[in-house]
Amino acid sequence: MSVATADGLTLAGRDRRFGLLLTAPGLLSLLIVITFPLFFTLFTSVHDYTLLTPNYDTFVGLENYEEALDEEYLPGSLWVTTKFVLASIVIEFIIGFAVALSLHATRRFGSIYYLILLAPLLINPVVVGLLWRMLLHSELGIINYAIGLVGISPVSWLGDADIAFWTVVLTDIWHQVSFMAILLVAGLAALPREPYEAARMDGASTISCFIHITLPLMRPVIAVAILLRMIFAIKTFDIVFIMTKGGPGTATDLISYYIYRAAFFGLDIGRASAMAAGLLVIIVALTAYLYRYMNSLK
Amino acid sequence: MANIVLEGVTKVYGQDILAVDNIDLEIREGEFMVLLGPSGCGKSTTLRMIAGLEEVTSGTLRISDEVVNDVDPADRDLAVVFQNYALYPHMTVERNLAFGLKLRKTPQEVIDRRIRDTTAMLGIDSLLDRRPSELSGGQQQRVALGRALVRDPEAFLLDEPLSNLDAKLRAAMRTELIKIHRMLGKTVVHVTHDQVEAMTMGERICIMREGRIIQVGPPLEVYRHPADSFVAGFLASPPMNLLKARLSGHHGVDEVDLSAVNLPIPRHRQAPLRRHAGSEVVVGIRPEDVHTQEPSDGTHHRVDITVVAVEVLGPEVILVADLGGGQEISVRQGATFHAVAGARIPLYIDLEQLHFFEVDSGLAVLHGGASGPVRPELGSYLKEGGP
Repeated sequence: MSVATADGLTLAGRDRRFGLLLTAPGLLSLLIVITFPLFFTLFTSVHDYTLLTPNYDTFVGLENYEEALDEEYLPGSLWVTTKFVLASIVIEFIIGFAVALSLHATRRFGSIYYLILLAPLLINPVVVGLLWRMLLHSELGIINYAIGLVGISPVSWLGDADIAFWTVVLTDIWHQVSFMAILLVAGLAALPREPYEAARMDGASTISCFIHITLPLMRPVIAVAILLRMIFAIKTFDIVFIMTKGGPGTATDLISYYIYRAAFFGLDIGRASAMAAGLLVIIVALTAYLYRYMNSLK
Repeated sequence: MANIVLEGVTKVYGQDILAVDNIDLEIREGEFMVLLGPSGCGKSTTLRMIAGLEEVTSGTLRISDEVVNDVDPADRDLAVVFQNYALYPHMTVERNLAFGLKLRKTPQEVIDRRIRDTTAMLGIDSLLDRRPSELSGGQQQRVALGRALVRDPEAFLLDEPLSNLDAKLRAAMRTELIKIHRMLGKTVVHVTHDQVEAMTMGERICIMREGRIIQVGPPLEVYRHPADSFVAGFLASPPMNLLKARLSGHHGVDEVDLSAVNLPIPRHRQAPLRRHAGSEVVVGIRPEDVHTQEPSDGTHHRVDITVVAVEVLGPEVILVADLGGGQEISVRQGATFHAVAGARIPLYIDLEQLHFFEVDSGLAVLHGGASGPVRPELGSYLKEGGP
């Protein structure tokens, strides 16, 4: 039975009140900077919102959504985004796992390798974009200069439609691969040592240890790492904004940049909000899946 | 079947951490050998070197008369049961058992038959589809044992396999392991820090301390003739009482002076003690060699003590007695014994059963009972482990 205290609240009730008091400032700022823009976007997506007369909003229902789906270039942008997400995640996973395995086996200078590995992750994505744009500049960039030294003719890294896509993918990998590697190396470090010794006694080679023990035991970590990276990759904006502006043509026109253009160049705020809401649904679905998957492992 | 021979085997970790220091040990074909010692004594390291999970720093390791220092663990044909079972967590019991056999390209029908036989023997045949996380500790232990058994190896290496089980289960598994050993007749090396396990399971016990082997022999042999005061104080519960004392009296060996009480030394036992006449020794008294009623054989000496505590264990009672001069001894008594703390009662110490050890080295000088003096040849006899 709970016992009321002097102010008429139970002990648990006082704890709750104190807890609410402590979290109130944080909750309030979250409300202002996240919840308000979110709901304003949803509000805008069902109104005919023009910047000329922001106050004359007319409710249009799902009209903005229908218009967005009818757009000629939306499927292309979605396809580019899908390609980008798949390419960067598959390559990041392979490189990240290889790096994680070697880091895991490293006995000396481990912290130095970590530092080197983490350096790109610590750089702001805008800076990463600027950096690589300069390095890859077709006339002034050091990379074309370097390959010129061995007799290869200059490559138009960001000007050629086929190459630009992969340039953006590789830049993203350079920036983000350590995130994958760090998650995986943490997973490897948490693996129990004993099954490996048992497997050695059972006669397993290094490769069969990897296939039959490491991979299955790492499955939850791998799933989380890939899902997290997927969510981040879908939202990729900065490096495209800095490096290619979606071009050449629509070769690097990722969905987030596409929406940005619709909003701030096309000035069709309602339609852009509708697309943003659609993207939100996709990301929320992925996050929900991730959350449920992690819970199912408990 | 295999014999396992260690000659001058040493293990050094890193630059200078000496885990195992130049040990010689022969484990005979079909023998149940227990490596016993406190944690950090090198027993597990020794087992892991035999398994091939640790490299031998120097010395020779032979299995079935073949030097295996550089042989891969998979090719030594040994099976290990690990302390925490080391089951493959993502595999079912059946796949756990089959894994080693599949890697060795055993035909599927042989695998099936062996799994059937082994799981039936261990009573885990209903668990084949479960994962380790769905099993109790005792069941996991059986699966770990089963994984070793299905492989049908030359020898079994058990690394404290019972230490994670509760007391009741541990006792049951002890009996079961002994039965399995008797049935298969394979060589077993069993590492434990539990002296009860060692005494009940081992055909021979190898007692280790600080990376060295102190004594090797059959359990009763080691119990009756501990090579030094460490072994004496390690075996049995409660272990032998070890008391600081001085040899004294007319010839320097007539009495042993325990500061508050003096115990006469029977004349026929004095000879081996002469070398230590008048000097300090450690006297060992087994808790069962002290009585509260005077036995009729006339070999007992009466001392009056103060009762410190009475520990009732059920089938027996442990009386902790103050001899005076800061010396306490534990005495084993029958279940009906009763005394109040602080009471003064007489105790009768069996003078024929007193053990004597050197103070500095701890080495035994004279054992109790009919065995009498420790002869130099007895030292090697103890090491070799008896006839």
